Amino acid sequence: MALLSLENLTKRFGGLVAVDGVNLEVEKGESIGIVGPNGSGKTTLYNVISGVYLADAGKIIFEGKDITSWPPYKRTPLGIGRTFQIPRPFSSASVRENVAVVAMFGTLSGQISVEESLRVGDRYIDLVGLNRHREKEAGSLTPVEKKLMEIARSLAMRPKLLLMDEALAGMHPKDIDELVTSLKRIRDEENIAIISMVEHIMRAVVGFAERVVVMHQGKKLVDAPTAEALRDQRVIDIYLGRPVQE
Amino acid sequence: MKEKLTKYYPLIPVCCAYLILFFTGKNVAGIWQLMAVLVFYCALGQVFNIFLGMTGYVDFGYVAFLGVGTYGMALSISRLSQIQGLGMGVIVIGLTLALLMAGLLSVAVGAVALRLRGAYFAIATVGVNEGFRYLIEGAKIWGGSEGIIFSGHLNRILGREEASALSTYWADILVLIIAVVAAFVTIVYMRGKIGYALTALREDEDAAKVMGINVTKYKIIAFITSASLAGLLGASAWALKVTYVFPPDAFQINYTVEAIIIVLLGGAGTLLGPIVGGLIYGLSKYWLAVVIPGFQLLIFAPIIIFIIVVFPEGIVGWMKRRVKGTALQRYLL
Repeated sequence: MALLSLENLTKRFGGLVAVDGVNLEVEKGESIGIVGPNGSGKTTLYNVISGVYLADAGKIIFEGKDITSWPPYKRTPLGIGRTFQIPRPFSSASVRENVAVVAMFGTLSGQISVEESLRVGDRYIDLVGLNRHREKEAGSLTPVEKKLMEIARSLAMRPKLLLMDEALAGMHPKDIDELVTSLKRIRDEENIAIISMVEHIMRAVVGFAERVVVMHQGKKLVDAPTAEALRDQRVIDIYLGRPVQE
Repeated sequence: MKEKLTKYYPLIPVCCAYLILFFTGKNVAGIWQLMAVLVFYCALGQVFNIFLGMTGYVDFGYVAFLGVGTYGMALSISRLSQIQGLGMGVIVIGLTLALLMAGLLSVAVGAVALRLRGAYFAIATVGVNEGFRYLIEGAKIWGGSEGIIFSGHLNRILGREEASALSTYWADILVLIIAVVAAFVTIVYMRGKIGYALTALREDEDAAKVMGINVTKYKIIAFITSASLAGLLGASAWALKVTYVFPPDAFQINYTVEAIIIVLLGGAGTLLGPIVGGLIYGLSKYWLAVVIPGFQLLIFAPIIIFIIVVFPEGIVGWMKRRVKGTALQRYLL
């Protein structure tokens, strides 16, 4: 049984069909990169999966449960974590509290105490390298640090499926490589399926994803192993412009 | 265990402040009434802070909960005065009724209005307050626009001496106790899971939902807690003290505005803020009324604007920033 399967998923905004009959299966522990031009429906797809928007048609099945109409706060503890494209820190709280609050409410275990969630949070803060800034107010972090905190928060949800929305954009290539390495390690250790949305950084796609899904005008255009997808003529035409040099 | 106790250290300055107010009032002749007014403002801020400060939602109909609490006490005194031998029991029943009525009203209001956000929530709650007042007046329930005058009932139940001691002394002590209880509830919430959930939803409600927080649940818990305590406050500070209740007094929107000013002045979502805000507000209102009677509001408005511009996070919010990293940090919340 697939971890996540989307059946004919559709989301409309008035006359605009942002996500148009998407079918997708995600297995446990898989790494998938979603790419596509701006406006191709990637973020909307994320919002429908995480419950920010409700689908107009189609089904979302997670571990065999039909969660299509569930509210977001019930989906997260089930194991669907996400990051936001523009980080949304709880600005007045410290980095530590920001991550702890997610460990407290975003996990299935539910009964975890405040002290315990602070400890769990610290582990992920350490992992993304924000240890020095633990006591800082989240609002005073730099944009890149906010992105790192966003990743730490999403990991503290202990997700089975992690949706990363351009989490690596705007970072130094060296940092990207480092983060991709630690994400891979966590993926293998905790058996998380990661769907990462990457708009421009092919470096991250190639280094990270085993499979690439290309979106175009709300539809799934290509769904294939990374190397194959990036050689696909349609993908080159609508998105890449020229073949990716490996 | 030691760590557990340090979590509650910020209660020390809070309790000290209330004790100082109490002993000043008791030992300096002729000052008790002023102290009682100050404690009332602090308590009002303390109680309102649990909702406004922790969730960031502005409730313009907040005074309705004090009003309903006042009616709870008035009803139990006026209706139960025939029963022999209840004595002080009537007051206990009155307080319970005030708590329940304010709590029930907040469940009803919260279930509907807390689905709205920001300005929409604020407008809806103004409606609740006015609506409730006109319901009582128009439908002639609970004495309608004539209100309930129950000083006679109170005298009959407790005797003249006791009744007078109740409204000039013990009512104020009750207000003081409610303020301390509210402060205690505040710190328990802030240190617990609910505090984390409320901080998250105050900062970014949509993100909080995606982090797995059932935001509606925590908003309603804070709302009910704050409203029930407000009911108790109305029952003691208004009902027991003035021994009558009229709809226009009990649902006067001025008090909501005062409560908002106190919370913002002191620092929304801080523990000590309502006391600082309450003292500054109460003292300056009193002082201005003495120095330039009639003009106090004219002077007061710019002062408040000035303070809010200089200390956007409130005075205690600003102080918290200043003491960060020093030994004082653990006493200030």
